[in-house]
Order: sequence, then C-alpha cells, then structure tokens
Amino acid sequence: MVTQEQILLYIQNIPPAPFVVKQTLDYVRVGDLTKAAKCAEEDPALKLYLRTLVNRPIYGFRNEVSDLSQIFSILGISTAQQILYNYLMTLLAPKEWGLFNLSSQAFYDLQASLSRKWAKILTHLNLLNHDNESAITLLPASIIVCDALFGEYKSEVEQLRSVKALDYNTILHRLTKMSLFDICTEIALKWEISPAISRIVHASSGLDQELEANDKILAQWMHLLLFYELSQSTYVEAGLNEFVEFQIEFVQEIYESFMQVVEYDETNG
Amino acid sequence: MRPTVKGRIAVFHPQGFLDGNNAPSFLTIDDIKATESLNIDMLLVSLKKVIFFNKNGLDVFIRLLDSIRSHKHIAVGLCDYDSAKFITINKFYGSNLTFSLFRTEKIAELFVPTNKNDSKTVLLYNEDASQRSAMAIELFDYGHNPVIAQSKKEFEEKKQNPDLYYAIIEETYLGLFGQKIATRVTGNAIIYTIANFLDAEITNTFNIAYHNNSLNVGFRLFIFDAYKVVSMNVHALNFFTKLASSAAEYNASICFVGLTFEKTPQSFKNDLEDAGIMFFDQMEDILKNKDLLQELGGSSASASKQVRTLTKALINELPGFIDATVSTIAMMTNAQAVKESMNIQTLEIKNAAHQYASSIGFYGDLDGMIILIFPKDIAKKACSLLIGEDSEDEEAILDSLAEFVNIIGGRAKALLGEKKNRVDITLPRTYADVNSLMEMAQNKKGVQVNLRFEGSNFIFFLTR
Repeated sequence: MVTQEQILLYIQNIPPAPFVVKQTLDYVRVGDLTKAAKCAEEDPALKLYLRTLVNRPIYGFRNEVSDLSQIFSILGISTAQQILYNYLMTLLAPKEWGLFNLSSQAFYDLQASLSRKWAKILTHLNLLNHDNESAITLLPASIIVCDALFGEYKSEVEQLRSVKALDYNTILHRLTKMSLFDICTEIALKWEISPAISRIVHASSGLDQELEANDKILAQWMHLLLFYELSQSTYVEAGLNEFVEFQIEFVQEIYESFMQVVEYDETNG
Repeated sequence: MRPTVKGRIAVFHPQGFLDGNNAPSFLTIDDIKATESLNIDMLLVSLKKVIFFNKNGLDVFIRLLDSIRSHKHIAVGLCDYDSAKFITINKFYGSNLTFSLFRTEKIAELFVPTNKNDSKTVLLYNEDASQRSAMAIELFDYGHNPVIAQSKKEFEEKKQNPDLYYAIIEETYLGLFGQKIATRVTGNAIIYTIANFLDAEITNTFNIAYHNNSLNVGFRLFIFDAYKVVSMNVHALNFFTKLASSAAEYNASICFVGLTFEKTPQSFKNDLEDAGIMFFDQMEDILKNKDLLQELGGSSASASKQVRTLTKALINELPGFIDATVSTIAMMTNAQAVKESMNIQTLEIKNAAHQYASSIGFYGDLDGMIILIFPKDIAKKACSLLIGEDSEDEEAILDSLAEFVNIIGGRAKALLGEKKNRVDITLPRTYADVNSLMEMAQNKKGVQVNLRFEGSNFIFFLTR
C-alpha cells in the first residue's frame, strides 16, 4: 500500500505557491490591500476565484461585486489572507477525486463552511488574529493528501476495513510512521505558511501530546468542527466520515459550548 | 458505510453527530444489501465515536437492525456507550426496546458463538431480575461462567475486584434475543443448547452456516444439550435426520444429551438412532469419558477416518490462493513474501514451539482449507498494521492473525467468484499451540508452500 517513498514523492511534487499569489499574500500581510488587489489582477484564475466566492449567497451582496480592490476591502486583512490560502488549497485539490466521492463544488463548500464557523469560534474564544483565522484553511489539505495517497488503494482499504475499523490516518501512520497531519505540515513549509498555523492544524488531529494551552484550545475546537462538518450528509456520502479517527475524549470538555456557538439544533431531522 | 466483521459480529462505527438529517447518508442501498448478505449472528451500531445523537438519527439504524433481525433471526443492538448515552437511549425507547444494548463490544462478543474454547468468568448485574436471568442463561448457554450479583450492593462490592472477571456486565439489556440456538465450544466438541417444543422453526433458529463452518474447520463432535426440550414434532425430526446425514459425510458424530421421551414418540428415537444420532443422559457421560470422546471425535479434531484428498480443481486454484496470501502480506506490510519451495505432502513444521498458526476453510463449489504457520515474531510483523502499537499480548496477536486470514479468505473467495465458483468462507481459527493444529492436520495431504518474508520462513498449506 502507501509507502514512505510515495509520500516523499508526493511532497516533492507539490507545486510552489504561484508567484502572484505569494506576492498578493505578502501585501495582505502588511495590510496593503490596494496593492494586493492590483497584484491579484495579474492572475486570471485567482481573480475569477475571488469574484465567484464573494458573490456567493453566503456574503449576501445584492449586486455583483467584480472590482478586486472592492473585494479586498470587503474581505479585510484576515479574511483576505484566509481566502488566499483557501485558493492555494484548491490548486492542490484534484480535478477528479479518486477516493472520496467529492466534487470541486462540495470541496469549496466545505472550505467556506469551515472558514465561516471557525471565525465564529475564534470570536467566541476571543482568539481572533490573522494566523488563527487562516489556520482552518490548511485543515482540508489533509483530505486532499488522503485522496491522493489512497486513491489507488481503495479496494485494499475496504478489505482492511471489513475486518477492523481503521481510519486512513491510522493506516498511513502505521504503514509509514507519517500521518496526514505531518504531510500538512510539509505543505505549509513549502508554501511558507506560518509555523503557528501548521502547529494548530497538526494538533487538531487530537493525538499530539504536551500542547500549549492556547494551541490545545484551538486544536480541540478545530477537531470538533471538523467532525461536525464531516457529519453533514454530503460529506458522509463522500466517505469523509471515516478519514480520520474522532477523538471524542479530546473534545468532551468543549462540547456544550461548541453546540451553542454553531447553534446546533438538537431536534435536527 | 460498511460494518466491520469480527467473528460472527458485524459493527457499524459512525463518527461525530447522528441526527435525522445525516443518518440516512450513512447507509446507502448497497451498504444495506452488503450488510444483509453477511453471514453473522449479531449486528450492532457502535456509539463509541458518536458525540451527539437524537432519536431520529438512531431510528434510521434501528429500522435497518429491526428489518435484518426479523428476517435473519440474528441479535441486533447498540454498543459502546457510556452511562449518559445509556440513559438517553432508554429515555428514547423506554419499554419499546426491541433491540439489545451492550455496554461494550467485548460484552456483546460473549453472547455469540465462537470457535474458541474459552469459558469466561463475568460479573453480571441488572436491576430487572428477568433481564438478569435471561442474560445469565444466555451466557451459560454460550459456555461462560456468569457470577450474578443479586443486589446493587453486592454488585458494587464484587466490582471492587475487577481482575477476577473477564468483563463486568452492567447497563446492558437483551432485547428480542435468543432466537438463534446458543452454541459453545468445549474442547473439540460443539454444544448446541435447544429448549421447549421443537418444530419447523428450528430450521430458522439453528445456525446451519456456523455448523457447516465447524465441520469444515475440523470439528467432528456435535452435542445437543436437550435437557430443556419438552417435545418435538416430525419437522424437527426431519431436520435432525438430515443434519445427521450431512455429518456422516464428514465422519462427524451427533449426540443428544438429556432428551426425554415422555412427550416425544419413542419411534422418533428409533428414527434418530437409525440416522446415526446417539443419546446420553448426562453431559458428563461424554465429556468425562476420554475413550468415548476419542471414539466420537471430540478428543481432537483429527478423528476423521476418511482423509479427503486434494482435487484437480482445487490445485488449479493454488496460484490464486498463494497470490491472495502474498498480496495481503504486501498490503499489510509493504514487504514482499517470496515463494521458496512447493510440495504435495503432509504438513511439516519445524520449531513448532515458536510458531503461531491460523486456518480458514471455504466450502461451496469448491472446498478446502488454507493454513498459515508463522514464526511468532513474523506473525506480529505481518499483523502490525492491525495491532498498531508493539503488542506482546498473545490474544491480541492471535485476534489480528484471525483478521489477517479473514482478509486472505475474502480475497480467495473473490478470486474464485471471478471464475464463477461460489464459495463461503468459515470463521478463521487461530492456534497459539501449533501441536493442536497438527492433531487436526497431520494426516491430511496438501500442498505445502514455503515462503520467505523479512528473512524468515513461513508456511502456506492448502488442504481439504
């Protein structure tokens, strides 16, 4: 099945962040949104992504917003950074998903939904800052990596899962001593994403020991948010409910607050 | 979502949130069909990784469980919950609980037949005396030793010594249960417990697949514990005579213990005796009589006098079976196993003391048995993906070895299926002591393939 060599090859083949995106991110980080918008104009794909995203119902604009400088000022620094990272992830995402029954649209929706709820969570926790807000964007990389590595071994995993309830992350770690979250850290390194972000995402596996207090809180909320999203029908049908192991004890203490923050209706369905 | 099958129990493992909106997405039509076709005695939904559930969500699974229970006569229920979840489930379903509740999967395993000969001592308590008795009877019928606490106080006292018990059974409930005939293994004999009035329903409640499994993996003595049987009709009589004829093909013995003929016609006894069934008054008459046990085939699994020979059709499939084994090892370890030699011979094992063995049988259009014998450290390596952490626990290693051969059996079944050969596979059997395997296999001729993996040899043996 998946070998260490395959993982190394996969990491090697991750394309560097496109120059325009990198530069746009640099401008966003220093707070110069005008220059960021100007820079983003040079990448038609990025431009289209931003326009499509901002004009989705979630943002609630009555008229179409097409001017990039307008879009950047609407988004603000933190959200702009978050969306640029989300864009980077879409570059890594496959055109055709092999393992999970996902469409590009469903993946974008997952990114958007995670980002929106994560912002609510950070506000609730009073931990809103640029890096924390962007941390959620790296999380779906684990899904992309999982699909890329296990896509060709679907039937083998099914056979394995027919005798033992193993998730993909556990299988990968037992086979290669590397987890999906380790690979996310490698991606972050390659794309010069802040180590603070990759640390939180790594901890959101729920398996890391000796975490700093704030990192632990963020990791707990991210872990539960991930499973909240992966319990939605679209993602259950896509097979995502089984991709990492839910560490229920890790999130037990924040469960009540989480239900309030995401306004979960317990009579659902 | 597909259930995971361990022994004769299949378990669904949903994660996260379970409500009426998302629960139907866990079960596609294909999932339901695949689950219905499983050859199991119990189907459960584990709530271990479910942080929230509501009644609408659970109902989706319960409907599937109920439907499978009603037409397959198997036990169904929920497992792996804590006290809070147990209270919630009871609040949702109250007295309408048709399914069972097992606090852990380990507890559920005590209520199904296995092919292991291991009687477990368990501590049992339930506030409801009828539940307490029902559970105790089931546990006893499955060959275990329940210690029943009659009061909460007594239970709490006994609970202080958990090391004395294999499991502590509380917050557990038997729903519509006991529809299947309870089965236990004693030595190399299989004991079925039958009760009340036996009629045509026995064809539904007797687990014929398990019985065939047992014949195919080498069991030769089958005892019906019939102390609680009041009477039987002609349909039950026909069932037992047919069972006796099929057992004769394997040179197996069928015995009845404790059956009285006060309300059953004496002619039935004659008919059953003519079919080869023997009658005894007490279980001890068989189990404590070594010579008789030997004669009946219950002292070892080697009693078969007719040695079944390899067939050409079976040998034709050998490359496929070896490929299924080698590819499973490659899948589980990312290392290659290489064939070193191959001979038609009786099983020959060097250094038997340092080996583990496992076997799985198949029957249908083709029948036979695959036996694997590994040096202990190699067995551990081969199963490390299933075991996880570096475990020295022999039971965990043997359990993983059983899962391992189950995958091989599944692959072999699929392979034969591609050639339009329909077969079923038996439960895997593992041997911590290879000598007990030799008792069963020593006279059997088969194809022995010596393979090399990670610098050590292991044996693949195909026989009938």
